[in-house]
Amino acid sequence: MQIDKESLDKFRLKLRTKVRYHVGSFCPDEEDLVQETLVRFLRFAEENRIRNPANLGAFLNGVCNNVIMEYRRRLWREEPYEPELREGVQAADREAELVEDREAIDTGLCQLSDRDQLILRAFYLEDRTRAEICNALGVTDTQFRVALFRAKERFRKIYRQSLKRRAATSH
Amino acid sequence: MLFHDEALLREEIIAKYLRRQLDATSTEEFESHYLTCDECFEELRLSQVLLEGLAQPRIDRRYSGGVAVLQFTRSAQLTRRSAEFTVLSQSILEQKDTKVLIDLSRVSRIDSAGLGLLMSCYSHAVRNQGGLKLLNPNSAIRELLHVTRIDAVLETYTDEQEAVQSFRQS
Repeated sequence: MQIDKESLDKFRLKLRTKVRYHVGSFCPDEEDLVQETLVRFLRFAEENRIRNPANLGAFLNGVCNNVIMEYRRRLWREEPYEPELREGVQAADREAELVEDREAIDTGLCQLSDRDQLILRAFYLEDRTRAEICNALGVTDTQFRVALFRAKERFRKIYRQSLKRRAATSH
Repeated sequence: MLFHDEALLREEIIAKYLRRQLDATSTEEFESHYLTCDECFEELRLSQVLLEGLAQPRIDRRYSGGVAVLQFTRSAQLTRRSAEFTVLSQSILEQKDTKVLIDLSRVSRIDSAGLGLLMSCYSHAVRNQGGLKLLNPNSAIRELLHVTRIDAVLETYTDEQEAVQSFRQS
């Protein structure tokens, strides 16, 4: 089974998100875990050991889960190699990346109306049911649905423009 | 995948995933799906970014006539589980300022925990020979302050200059 470069790059990006979710944003071994998952996955693909290509995502997810589990076991057994040096450099890189992101996020959020922010906050951040939110906002389920997607779409546009502007000014 | 075709269901799954409220089986199912679905992954990434921004409430602190004026930079709620609750308590109880004016113009809701926090902040300020007053609460909050008789202790103003001057007089 052949995996092209474009698919591989997409897998890498998505695996990074999954690994961060499970081991934390500042894990110094994040890239190693992603790389190890991809190496194993490609080996399986080359040897045609992926029996059901329709479930490629589940297979890749399983490989990544094993890599994360083995990593956790290893952490229990041994100290990481030069932890201070590696953590320091990678944490600084990640922090710089986050600051850039945060500026774009702030720009996106600041340009949303109070009502849009309220809707997004109630849905994503607060532990409330949809019925509770609709009740608090005094809207029907359909009105809430429309308002939520419009608010997210507005944020998407502003956030992307802000990222583009930042990328253009930094070059 | 049912959630792939149903946008609102997908958003609910994403929101629960990001708040870590999805059970192990659903997490497994969602991750297996987004690893091969660009559309769902894009929605997840954007929601993740959105959540990161929303989870960081900011309070502006500026000084006017020796009084610290605190204002939320975004719409906020002072409720038991809200992030603003923590940020406001840190901004008052862990700072040296004792003359504090809280601008509530962007606060849409306060619950009993929020009222309790305002009273704790007031006690903290008074214990340190200062005071705490409120500026521009909305009508619902004003009503709540009145019903609970907290407005007899916490003075409320609609004009900032007037509020700042009242600190000099008291």
